Amino acid sequence: MDAVERANVERQKRWVKDQKVGEGTYAVVYRGREASTGRKVAIKKIKVGQFKDGLDMSAVREVKYLRELKHQNVIELLDVFSSKTNLNLVLEFLDSDLEMIIKDRSLVFLPADIKSWMAMTFRGLEFCHRNFVLHRDLKPNNLLIASDGQLKIADFGLARDFADPGYKMTCQVITRWYRPPELLFGCRYYGTAVDIWSVGCIFAELMLRTPYLAGESDMDQLKTIFRALGTPTEQDWPGHTKLPDYITVGQFPKTPLRDLFTAASPDALNLLSKCLIYEPRRRISAKDALHHQYFFAQPHPSYPSKLPKCATQLATAQPLEEVDANVDMESTVAGGKGGPIKARPKRKLNSPYDDSKSRSIARRLDFTQPIPGS
Amino acid sequence: MATDFWASSHYKRWITDRATLKQARAEDLQYVDDPEHLEFLDIYFANAIAKLGRKLQLRQRAIATATVFFRRFYLKNAYCETDPFLVIAACCYVAAKAEESPVHIKNVVTESRTLFSQHYNVKNFPSDNSKLGEMEFYLVDDLECDLTVFHPYRTLMALCKKESSTDEDDETEAGEVGVGISADEGQRYWGSSEDKLEMSEAALQMAWHIINDTYRGSLCLLYPPHLIAIAAIYLTQVFHRPSRDNLSTLLQPPSSTAPHPRRSSRNAAESKKHQDPVTFLAELNVSLPLIATISQEIIALYALWDRYKDDSLPDTSSSSRQSPLSATGGCASRSRSGGTPQSEAADDHRVTPAFLSNLLMKMRENRLTDLAHPPTGRPVAVNKMLERTQAAG
Repeated sequence: MDAVERANVERQKRWVKDQKVGEGTYAVVYRGREASTGRKVAIKKIKVGQFKDGLDMSAVREVKYLRELKHQNVIELLDVFSSKTNLNLVLEFLDSDLEMIIKDRSLVFLPADIKSWMAMTFRGLEFCHRNFVLHRDLKPNNLLIASDGQLKIADFGLARDFADPGYKMTCQVITRWYRPPELLFGCRYYGTAVDIWSVGCIFAELMLRTPYLAGESDMDQLKTIFRALGTPTEQDWPGHTKLPDYITVGQFPKTPLRDLFTAASPDALNLLSKCLIYEPRRRISAKDALHHQYFFAQPHPSYPSKLPKCATQLATAQPLEEVDANVDMESTVAGGKGGPIKARPKRKLNSPYDDSKSRSIARRLDFTQPIPGS
Repeated sequence: MATDFWASSHYKRWITDRATLKQARAEDLQYVDDPEHLEFLDIYFANAIAKLGRKLQLRQRAIATATVFFRRFYLKNAYCETDPFLVIAACCYVAAKAEESPVHIKNVVTESRTLFSQHYNVKNFPSDNSKLGEMEFYLVDDLECDLTVFHPYRTLMALCKKESSTDEDDETEAGEVGVGISADEGQRYWGSSEDKLEMSEAALQMAWHIINDTYRGSLCLLYPPHLIAIAAIYLTQVFHRPSRDNLSTLLQPPSSTAPHPRRSSRNAAESKKHQDPVTFLAELNVSLPLIATISQEIIALYALWDRYKDDSLPDTSSSSRQSPLSATGGCASRSRSGGTPQSEAADDHRVTPAFLSNLLMKMRENRLTDLAHPPTGRPVAVNKMLERTQAAG
């Protein structure tokens, strides 16, 4: 055994794999812990199988970017080790995701809560963009929530760095409901603005508690967007009619956001509208968003540990598995999702909403759990 | 390339020193007569990677990444203990994926088999995908999953621009409506054209080729890529004839304090602020002695390379290099049959790929013999992969 192998065995011993909690196309996720401290982790075992097709592209991307990105609001890759013929990624253990929280009807969101989640999302995203990484699959399901309430961007399986000038990228990215119009029109040169559109959709979804722009097909998605925000004119978005897959889907008038978001503050609507600007170059950047008036106005963002949590996060007897972005949660979502690009096997979850005994509590503050970090 | 270099795995874990490099080759050193042959092997492997990369139609950056993966892998492994050609194929395969231009595994296997059997006398390259898949796994494991590699190319493009190219030109090239990268982000990524050093197209080409050439040695393991890029710019200023002439007119009157009036008429047509190369290099906030060291090492690499006789000489970038150091060429031995140690000896100190292919085979054979008959008298498992699998299991 040479030094390299010894080091690997050492790393391997540091982590203990417990039960399997989910399975995706290229990985199996286990709950685990650090042997010495008992700290909970998620271990993602990348299937190499019989080595027939090599490592999955998503696995390569995920590993590539998570090895580099370290930020409070980005899921942390703690370690990597190999066992027999598998690569194992040791990730932070995160109990739920924003989608579960949005769907949990027993929870009431205060404007300050929404602001807090938005701030954490923009902070994580700004960090990615500052480091020239496009996420390309932002959706509530990929924004994981740690037990201390911190939001973490996860699933870098579609992420990539900025392309060189003139180098085409695929437009087949981002789950449909969160996909910006330029990608639906087949634009092959794009940048950070695509992620911002997704964040705008998530922002709206937090306020509405239901997906904002839920199209049934790519064509319908465009129609849904234009119905909500009005069909763009050449003035709104110069040159969009020349995009490769441009099609006309009908003329819809612009309706003020205020009509739908009746309870939102003017600042919130202003930020939302800037995230959903048609012309990608004029869409707000993550950095500018963080400096937006919305985040400085009253009420101040909720402290992460005070944010609403899912029932499952509180129930210690039946803790929810690490919700890995790679493991799709579709089976729990009524009505299906906006056509995810990646065909992933579905997984049954112990649905948090069946938990009728915890329904009655509208907003729970958790004082039972140990202080994070202690 | 992504992320901040100073916070990257590249900087934190993969910039190494000469002592480590030497230690990494300790095992191989026992099986070669002349330590210099190992340096020739560096060139030999880099050429093989570049050739395979071109067959697979990889971009230069992906080829460079594959080369860096290869060098990193052999910081932890010995040539004589592994199959470098399988490693090369795996490096290209992983690099293609890491650089967002994936190639099908079958394709890599086919191209590798053809190329290596034709030019490198490798007859036993596995025909089955799973071998390459397995090698990929070991490679990624030994790379510790650090797949983000920084290259000097981007620094070059950020620091220099083609003469008389304006920002608007670049914009239309980047093309098509709806470019989503704002001017602000673009500037941070590729630099602004304001204070770029203007170079002629040929000079820029040369700098680019010099950077390509640095991958023939271990420089990518020793120095941060931006310094390599600056060294390449410096060498271009010296080697590129018109640039050098420019430079000497610039430097002739030692009293010249303001370079502005001395600008060539060609540049004067433009109103923007121009940089003369001397001030430009001086104003970069880097250690110039270190740049000089790197430049020396690049030159030493060329000196070594001059004695390496590739079978496809016009293929190497040396033809486009006008440096006084460029390979003299002419005596390219296209026939593989003649490339034996004898012909090498006849051609004083010249090393051919065929010689190195033989050397490599001998190294591995001798290594196997040694393993089978260790000093302790206890036979050892010879399959390293198998051994590792057992250890991990």
